[in-house]
Amino acid sequence: MIRLQNVCFNYDRDRTLTDISFHINKGEFAAIIGANGAGKSTLCRLLNGLLKPSSGSVEINGLDTGHTKSSVLARQIGFLFQNPDRQICRNTVAEEILFGLELLYKDREFIAERLEKVLSMFGFSAEDNPFNLSRGERQRLALASLIAVEPEILILDEPTTGLDYKECIEIMEIVREMNKKGTTVIMVCHDMEVVLDYAERVLVLSGGKLIADGETRSVFCMNDVLEQASLIPPQMASLAGRLGSGFEDVFTVEEMTELILEKSNEKRRVEV
Amino acid sequence: MRSFFDYIPGNSFLHRLNPLSRIFLSFMISIACFSSKSHLFLLLMILLNLVLAALAGILNRGMELLKNLSKFSVFIFVLQVLFVRRGEVLLEMPFNIIITEDGISTAIIIVLRLIGATMPLALMLSITQMNDLSNILVVKLKIPYKYAFAFTTALRFIPIFASEMSAIIEAQVSRGVQLDTKNIFKKTRLILPLCLPLLITSMKKIEGSAISAEIRGFYLRTGESCYRKYFINWNDVGVLLFAVILFISAVFSNNIKL
Amino acid sequence: MIKISNLTFRYKDGRKNALDNINLSINKGDFLGITGTSGAGKTSLTYAINGVIPHHYNGDYYGSVRIEGEDTFDTSPSALSLKIGSVFQDIDTQLVSSVVEDEILYGLENFSVPAVEIEQRISSALEAVGISSLRYRSIESLSGGQKQKVALAAILALRPKILLLDEPTSELDPESSVQFYRILRELNENHGITIIVVEQKIMLLSEFAKNILVMDTGKIVINGSVREVIDRSSLLEEIGINCPRVTSLSNRLKEEGVYTGSVCINVEEAEKMVRSIIDD
Ligand SMILES: Nc1ncnc2c1ncn2[C@@H]1O[C@H](COP(=O)(O)OP(=O)(O)O)[C@@H](O)[C@H]1O
Ligand SMILES: Nc1ncnc2c1ncn2[C@@H]1O[C@H](COP(=O)(O)OP(=O)(O)O)[C@@H](O)[C@H]1O
Ligand SMILES: [Mg+2]
Ligand SMILES: [Mg+2]
Repeated sequence: MIRLQNVCFNYDRDRTLTDISFHINKGEFAAIIGANGAGKSTLCRLLNGLLKPSSGSVEINGLDTGHTKSSVLARQIGFLFQNPDRQICRNTVAEEILFGLELLYKDREFIAERLEKVLSMFGFSAEDNPFNLSRGERQRLALASLIAVEPEILILDEPTTGLDYKECIEIMEIVREMNKKGTTVIMVCHDMEVVLDYAERVLVLSGGKLIADGETRSVFCMNDVLEQASLIPPQMASLAGRLGSGFEDVFTVEEMTELILEKSNEKRRVEV
Repeated sequence: MRSFFDYIPGNSFLHRLNPLSRIFLSFMISIACFSSKSHLFLLLMILLNLVLAALAGILNRGMELLKNLSKFSVFIFVLQVLFVRRGEVLLEMPFNIIITEDGISTAIIIVLRLIGATMPLALMLSITQMNDLSNILVVKLKIPYKYAFAFTTALRFIPIFASEMSAIIEAQVSRGVQLDTKNIFKKTRLILPLCLPLLITSMKKIEGSAISAEIRGFYLRTGESCYRKYFINWNDVGVLLFAVILFISAVFSNNIKL
Repeated sequence: MIKISNLTFRYKDGRKNALDNINLSINKGDFLGITGTSGAGKTSLTYAINGVIPHHYNGDYYGSVRIEGEDTFDTSPSALSLKIGSVFQDIDTQLVSSVVEDEILYGLENFSVPAVEIEQRISSALEAVGISSLRYRSIESLSGGQKQKVALAAILALRPKILLLDEPTSELDPESSVQFYRILRELNENHGITIIVVEQKIMLLSEFAKNILVMDTGKIVINGSVREVIDRSSLLEEIGINCPRVTSLSNRLKEEGVYTGSVCINVEEAEKMVRSIIDD
């Protein structure tokens, strides 16, 4: 579905991305993580053809982005930026959602049906002015108008920065819902707890290089990788790390509680 | 995103000049370009701009400017050539379009002027810090600080707005707006609605900027607040003289027939 | 040091009160973290403290804010800035110069700091934030995190007694955010600067702040020490603020009846807790 082969990219003279290769299958939920300036946003822009690789190739569904217009790729890829204000350009919620739909589809009936579906899914009222909504709601609106065209791939570049926890969870739950229906999701995120809760796979960038790529939990166990990318692991993972042997593979509060209860029962039994 | 007059730090002869001399020199070059009708003189002025850029260690910026101004000039050139209908006809085309010798000659002058007069200003801004600029405006030219600050803030915002605009364009292209089209008319029609998001972000930024100046003592500032002192030394006198000579030779260049 | 009494404010075109009967006093040397969902009124509260409300924004204003006895209603924000240094969220609008050194100089000039003192102020401010090497760099060439530090240094050079920051790390990665908070802690502990910081990430506050204030719909919901606030995790969750995971863990273990101590606020404490449960 998405295939990068030996991709390098430079803006001016300096190398921003060096020799990146990976393959993402349909229906995966992958997170890209790394410090500020590691090249995450650059990588996202390469994925939807806003940037073309300096060398190597990026293929989306067999299309080489180097030879495909961004506006053609838009039908397959929905791209949510950090700041919804750059996307929203219409005066009502309904018009905003229609704007995206009408760019890509002609069939009136089909468009009306999609609009209705998305409005009810997100619980928006059609005539609201987007600029009276809160930042979190505007971000949801931006997401809604992307989802309306039902792209096969969703790319989210720090979608929850500047949102509070509740708004963040709202966005992430919608994304998870889409993922369950088969949408491929690629997300940049600084909140490792969110990454742990939602992503199945993690790609770690550091200084423009892909230094790790694997299942979320296994990547969070690689201490040297986390250190190199200046990442702070999720709290339960660092707690487990501190507690040492017997606590491998514990990542959630539930797992930790269970393990502790088990161990304390064991202890009591020994005492008896 | 960088613009053509972001400050480039350095320690060249030109960087060390009194900002006032730098401003004076660049304006005199501009004025000289507008006063002259001589192709040769205008070409020399463009060359002088590049020499000055090299002296300041920003030849790259100079070349970049020249390249971009030249692109823009092609447009002006064509317009001008088609506009002027006087003089000996060189070429006649359908739709009553004629190209004349006068047209070509004035078009060349206008283009050279445009390049020669714009470059020194952009180059001057590239080696002058915003604060120096506003200090000079206030201390030497007695412009009220409020206006000087507004002026430098406007300059500072140009690249910010430009990068905001390109971020907006990115966001729209990736949802399927065909801004990557080559058709200029279609592109303009598509870009217009994007002014709404730009306007909203700009308003927010300008408001934020006013507040942050205010809470850093903007209204406490007096004419004497300026820390840096700007001395005039022999280098400056030399540059001022040079600028005046440029202007005089521009006037005389019109009398010399080539 | 700061005393807010019965403060209510509604923006001119606001539909409801952005600040609703706020009573709060902040003492010298505090490190206060303000948190809450978006739209709770956090930014408005910072504006009320540095005088931007009511001097820059019009609206219905009741009550009073006093900074060392001086009512902000009668003092311009510029005059208040002698005592309070503010760092806002949007870094692009905050910085006014093209070179780092000039950025620091800007406020100093406005305040007419004597020329003999200026050099020392600039270098010590840069040093306090750890960016001495950036002094002659052009601001355009800096990363977001570096710009954020420049903004902080520019404020520190003015030697404010109170530092007011609105979501200063929202654009930073976790590691850089922690670094930024280490600087704040240093300023608070070694230089006695009172710090008030708005922050969404409660994990950072529980690590670095002394007190936390939770806002919701313009009101103060809880105001107390970090431990007191984190202890009320069910109320926090109701408002829509997530607690650190170690806090949830200690709560779960309490429910299960294997732990009776106080709530955990960081990983170190959680480690101690777990060891006390499972070790002999
Ligand atoms: N438009 C641009 N022009 C030049 N350099 C850029 C541009 N955008 C980003 N960079 C540089 O590329 C590097 C990677 O940036 P980015 O992909 O935005 O990182 P991240 O999203 O991981 O924070 C940084 O060093 C940044 O300074
Ligand atoms: N300039 C303004 N005009 C009108 N209403 C505003 C303005 N700024 C904020 N508000 C409203 O005031 C309330 C509090 O906003 P704010 O203080 O920015 O919250 P927070 O910083 O906690 O997200 C919100 O309901 C918001 O819509
Ligand atoms: Mg990024
Ligand atoms: Mg706010």
